[in-house]
Amino acid sequence: MSEVDALVVSFIANVNVNDERSNDIAIKLTDLIQNKKIKLLQIIVALKDRFVSEDERERIKALKCLSCVLCNIEPQLLLKNDISVLINFYMSKITDKPLMLECLMGLDALMTMKYITIDQTITVMLFLQKDYVSKDFLAAVRNYPFSILQNIFDRWETLLNNKDKDNSNKNLIILFIQTYITIASGEKDPRNLLISFQLNKLITTNFKSESIQFAQALFDILFSYFPITFKPPKDDPYKISNADLKLALRSAISASDIFAEDAFSNLIDKLGATSPAIKNDTLLTLLTCINKFGGKACIEFWLQMWNALKFEIMHSGDGSEATYLDPIAQNDDKIEQNGSSVSNIQSNYQLSLDVLRALANQLIALDEIAFNKYVNHILEELKPNFEFTKDLRQSCSIMAAIGSANLVAFNKVIDLTLPLFLENTTEISKLKLMLLNLSFFLDSYIKVTKSFNGNETELNEFIKLNHLNDSKDEILMILGMALTGNSKIEVTVRTLSVIQFTKMIKMEGYLTKEEISLIIQYITETILTDNNKNIYCACLEGLKVISQTHESLVYDVSLKELLNLLPNGFNDLILHHKEDEIIQIEVILRVILDFTTSRHILIKESIVTLTQKLVEIYSNGNNAAIDYCFLLLSTIYSLFENNYSILDEISIGDIKNQTESSIFTILTNNNDNNSILFDNQNLSLLSNILYFRNVKYQKNQHELELTRYTKIFVEDHKILETPNRLVIPYVKILSAIDKSCTFSDASDIMEKTVTLIHNNKTNDMSNLEKIGYMELITVITNKWFNDELENTIIEKYVNWEDQSTINLEMIAWIGKGLITKNSPCSNIILSHFLSLLNDENIGLIVSKLFELFVMDINSMAKHKGITWTNNVKLLYKQKFFNDVFQSLVTSYNEPNLSLDIKCNYLTALSLILKHTPNKLVEQFMNDLLPMLLQALEMPNSEVRISALDTLKDTTEKFGLLITENIDTLLPILLKLVVPGSKYNDVSVRLMSLQLIGLLADSVPLNYLKPYKEQVINGLLLTLSDKKRIVRKQCIDTRQLYFELGQVPFE
Amino acid sequence: MSEYLNDNPDVLEVDELPSRKEDNNEHLFENFGSQEALQRKKLLLKIDHSPTSQVLHNIELLDKLLLLNSTPDLISDNENLLTESDSDLNDESIIGVGNESISEEYLTEPADPVDIQEIYDLTAHICDPEHPLTLGQLSIVNLPDIEVHDDGNPEHLAQVIIRITPTITHCSLATLIGLGIRVRLERALPPRFRITILLKKGTHNSEQQVNKQLNDKERVAAACENEQLLGVVSKMLQTCK
Repeated sequence: MSEVDALVVSFIANVNVNDERSNDIAIKLTDLIQNKKIKLLQIIVALKDRFVSEDERERIKALKCLSCVLCNIEPQLLLKNDISVLINFYMSKITDKPLMLECLMGLDALMTMKYITIDQTITVMLFLQKDYVSKDFLAAVRNYPFSILQNIFDRWETLLNNKDKDNSNKNLIILFIQTYITIASGEKDPRNLLISFQLNKLITTNFKSESIQFAQALFDILFSYFPITFKPPKDDPYKISNADLKLALRSAISASDIFAEDAFSNLIDKLGATSPAIKNDTLLTLLTCINKFGGKACIEFWLQMWNALKFEIMHSGDGSEATYLDPIAQNDDKIEQNGSSVSNIQSNYQLSLDVLRALANQLIALDEIAFNKYVNHILEELKPNFEFTKDLRQSCSIMAAIGSANLVAFNKVIDLTLPLFLENTTEISKLKLMLLNLSFFLDSYIKVTKSFNGNETELNEFIKLNHLNDSKDEILMILGMALTGNSKIEVTVRTLSVIQFTKMIKMEGYLTKEEISLIIQYITETILTDNNKNIYCACLEGLKVISQTHESLVYDVSLKELLNLLPNGFNDLILHHKEDEIIQIEVILRVILDFTTSRHILIKESIVTLTQKLVEIYSNGNNAAIDYCFLLLSTIYSLFENNYSILDEISIGDIKNQTESSIFTILTNNNDNNSILFDNQNLSLLSNILYFRNVKYQKNQHELELTRYTKIFVEDHKILETPNRLVIPYVKILSAIDKSCTFSDASDIMEKTVTLIHNNKTNDMSNLEKIGYMELITVITNKWFNDELENTIIEKYVNWEDQSTINLEMIAWIGKGLITKNSPCSNIILSHFLSLLNDENIGLIVSKLFELFVMDINSMAKHKGITWTNNVKLLYKQKFFNDVFQSLVTSYNEPNLSLDIKCNYLTALSLILKHTPNKLVEQFMNDLLPMLLQALEMPNSEVRISALDTLKDTTEKFGLLITENIDTLLPILLKLVVPGSKYNDVSVRLMSLQLIGLLADSVPLNYLKPYKEQVINGLLLTLSDKKRIVRKQCIDTRQLYFELGQVPFE
Repeated sequence: MSEYLNDNPDVLEVDELPSRKEDNNEHLFENFGSQEALQRKKLLLKIDHSPTSQVLHNIELLDKLLLLNSTPDLISDNENLLTESDSDLNDESIIGVGNESISEEYLTEPADPVDIQEIYDLTAHICDPEHPLTLGQLSIVNLPDIEVHDDGNPEHLAQVIIRITPTITHCSLATLIGLGIRVRLERALPPRFRITILLKKGTHNSEQQVNKQLNDKERVAAACENEQLLGVVSKMLQTCK
C-alpha cells in the first residue's frame, strides 16, 4: 500500500472518532501535496471507490477527507484546471443531501483559491440561492454558506468594489445580495447570526446603491432579532456572549442610512417596551443610528423620538434630590452600561438625554433652522414646568443635555432657558431649586468642553463665545450669598452652593484666577466654621478638586491660611476667629490631613510648617502643650504615612533640609519642660517621623547619613554610656537606613548596648529607654549581623546561665531579629526558650516573651514599595508557627505536668496566636482546638481573648469541628460571660457573647437545640452587665437563641 | 384631640432617629491599655476618624510594649498561682459565680446605666407589622415618652414605662405592637425591671381596654404560647439591631 493509501485509510478510520488525529493526518496529506511529493489526484484515486460506495457513511468520510485536505492547502497551489475539476466534482455531489456538510466545506475552501474564476463562484452562488434550503440542515452545516459568502467577498473585494461598474458587475453584486438573503433568512444559531450580521453590514456599507432595492429584506433579516437576548449554554464551544451579538446587531442596523426610515420607526415603537433591559438596548441602538445616519434622516423623526423619550425622562425615578446633594456622586461620571438592573434603569434616563443631545448635534450639523425648530418645540413644551415648578429636574436635564451638544446649541439653550429661572431670591426653597437647576447647565458646559478632546482652538473659541459668560457675575454673587448669607441651619442650600462652586472651578476657562481664589476662600472659611458633616464633605471635595488643577493657588489661599491659624501659644485648644466664630485646632488639623492627600506641594508645605510650629511650642511642659504637640505630631506622621509612596526623593530631600534643625533643636533640649522628649508617645511619634524622612532619602546618601547620625547620637550624646531617651529616634533612623550600607560600628554598638542593658539596675534605666535599647539590638541583629556573624551573636551575647528577666528579655529581642529573617540560628534560641517553659520559676516570664517573637513592631515593619530597610522575610510567621506549634503541643501533652507548667504552654501559644494570621493556623486546627478550649479557662484575660479570637474564626470555617466539641465549649463560654470575675474583662465577655452568637449560625440545629434553654438562662445574669456594649451583644445573642428552631412566619 | 394624631406620620430616615452619638468609636477603647494611651486615642479621633489609622496603631503598640516590659508582674504572679491552685480544687471559683468572687476591678469599673436612650434603641428598630418601617421611623415610639426609674442597685426593683403613639386612633394592631415591645424588653432587660406599656393619652379610641390588655400578665403569657403569634412577633423583631 502506498503512503497515500495508508494515510487515507488512517484518516477514514479516525474521522468522527478522534477528530484531532484525523486533522493531523489531513495536514500530513496536505504537506505531501505542498512539497510536490504526491498529487491531489492520487488522493482522489485513493478515495475513488469510497466516493461511490453504497454505504452513506463511507461516502461522507471519503468526501470529508478530501475537503479537509483542501481546507489546509495553500490558495495558490491549485491551478485553474484542478479547481474546475474539483468544483464540478463537488457540484455533482451536492445533490447527495447527507453529504451537504462535506460538500460545502470543500467549496468553502475552494472559494479562497487564487486561480478560481468568477464564473465558478457564480455557479456556487446560484446553487446556494436557488437549490439550497437552509432549514433542512443543522447549524453546523448552515455555517458554511455564510463562510462561503464571506470568502467570496474577501476574494473578489476589488472586483466587487470596482467604481465604474458595468452591468455584469452589478448583476454579480445583486446575486451576492440575493444569495445572502436566501441563506440568512430564518437563521437562529448564535454563531451563524454573528457572521450573518457582519455580512449584512458588509453589503450595506459596500454596495449601497445596489442594496437599496433590497433594503426592506435586508433590514427585516436584522430587525426580526431585535432586541436580541441570548444566554450562552454552560459548555459553549464558541464563547459567544450576549454582548457580542448585541453589538454586532447594533452595528449592522446602524451600518447604512438606507435603513433610516425602517430603523427609526421600528426603534421608536420599541421604546414603549416595559423591560428596562430592552429599553436600554433600544436607546443605545437609537443613539448609534442617529450618529451614523446623520441629520437629514433625523429631520423627519425627531418629533416622534422626542414624544417617546419625553415619557421615559419625565417618569424616570433616577436622580432624586439626594444624589445631587452628594458631593462624591457629583464627581463620578456615572453611566454604567452593564451591571445590575438598577444601573440599567439609571442609564436609561441618561441615555434618553444622550439621544436628545445626539439629535441636537446632528441637526445643527445639517442646518441651524432645523435645530432651532427642534429646540423651540421642546422648550415650549417645558416652559410651563418652569412656571409651575414642576418636574424641574427633568426639564433642566433635557435642556442641559441639548445644550451640551456644541457651542451653538449651548448658547441657544442658555439664552432661552437661563432667564426662566436665574434670579436672586431670599426665599430658601426657591433658592434651593434654582441652585439645583443651575447645576445642570454647569454640567452642560463641562460636557461641551470635554467633547473637544483637547482641541485648543475650538476650546478657546468656546470659552470666549459662550453666553454663560454673561451671567457669570450674577451666578457667583448668588452662590456667595447662598453660602454666607444664610444661617448655618440651611444645610441643603449651603451644601448645594459649595457643590456648584466646585463645579464652576471644574469648568475649563470659565473663571479667572481671582474668582477662583475667592471661591477657595469661601470654601476654606466654611469648612472651618461649619461642623455639619454634609457641608464638611462638600467643602473637602471642593478643595480636593481645586487642588487637582490649581494646587499652588490652594496652597496660597487656603493651606497657608490654615497653617497660620494654628496658634503658637495655646489656651485650651480652642481658637477664636473673627467676632464670634470658634475654630478648634483639631478641626484645622483634620482639614489639613483630609484635603492634602496626594498633592506634593501641599503635603510638603504642611509637614514643614507644622514642624516649625512644634519648635515654637515644645518647650512649655504643661499638659495642654503636650496634647497640642501630640496632635501636631500625629498630623505630620499621618501625612507621611498616607502619602509616602508618592513623595519622591526631591520632596523628601526638601523636607529633610527644612526640618532637620528644628527636629534636633527639640530632641537635644534637655529641659524638663520639653513636651516631646519627655512624653513617651510624642517621642515615639517624632521618631517615626524621622523614619519616614530618612527612608526615602536619596539612596546613595544613606551611608553618609548613617555615619553622621551615629556620630551625633553615639559620640556627641553618648547614648551608649548612660541610658538616654535619644536611643528611640536613633533606632528609627537606623531602621530606615538601607541595609546594604556598611556599618562598621555595628559590633561595637551591640557590645555597648548589651553591657548597658545588663547594668540597667545600677544605671536606672526607664522603661521606654529599655524598649529603645532592646529594639536597637533587634534592628542591628536583623540588618547588620548576617551569615557567619549570626553565630557570633549567639556565642557572645546569649548567656543562658543568667536567668534574670532582663537577660531573658534581651535574648528574646535578639531572637526576634533572627527569627524575622528566618536565620537557622534562631532555632537555638527558640528551642531553649521552649525548654524554659517547663521551668517552675521563670516559665511564666518566658511564656510572655513568646509574644515578642511575632509582634509587629514599627522598626521592623515592611512598607509597600520599600524593600531596602530590613531583612524581614515575608513568611517568617508561618515558618515560626510551624516550628513552634508541634513542640508546644508535644510538651503540653507530656504526662505529669503541673497545671502551672501547662498554663505556661497555653499562654505562650495564645500570645503567638494573637499575632498570627488565622489563615496560617487552620491546618493545625485538630491539634489546636483542645488546647484552645483549655486556654479559655486560664486565669489571664489576654490568653482568653486570644483563644476566643481564634475560636471565632474557627467557628466560621470549621463548623463541624466545633459541633463535635459543642458540649465542652458552650458551658465554658457561659462561664466567661458572667460579669464580675477577675479575668472576665469587657473584651472577654463581649467576645464570648459574640462566639455564642456565631454558634447559632454554624452549628446544626439538632446539636444546638438541647442547649437552647441553658443558653437563654445562662445569659440572664449578663443582661445586667455594667457595660452597655456587653448588654447589647448579650441581647442580640439571646435573641438568636430565642429564635432557634422556631417555625418561621410565612 | 387631633393634635395627638400620628396620622400620616413623617417617616424618618433611619439615621435621623435619636441615637447615642459618642458610642460610635467605643470599640476602640475596649482593649486593655493605660489611661494615658486611652486619653491620647480619644484626642486622636478628633482629627482622624478612621479606627485603622496608623497613629492609633502606634499608640497601642507603644503602650503594649511598655506594659509588656514594665511588670513581669511579680505581685500578680502570686495571685495567678493562687487562683490557679484554687481552680484545681474547684472549677467554679475562677469563674466566679456568686457575689463573693466579684473582682475589685469590676466593682470599680464605671457603669453605663440603663437610660431612656437604651430603651429607645431596643424598641425603635422593631418593625411595624403592617409597614416595612420601624416603630422609630413611624414615631410610634418616641424618646420623650419613655421613663426609666432605676437606682442602679441590683438588689432593687426598677421600672420602665413606655408610652406608644399608634398611627391612627382606631389602630387595630396597637395590641400587637405593644406585645412586640413587651417581648423585646422582657428578653432584653434583667428580671428586676418591671415593664409597663401604655398608649399615649388620647391617641386611641379604646385606650383603656388596650392598656389593660397590654399589661395583663396572664394574657401576655397566653399570647406567647401561641406559636403563630410568636412567629409574627419574631418577624417584627427581626429588624432590631
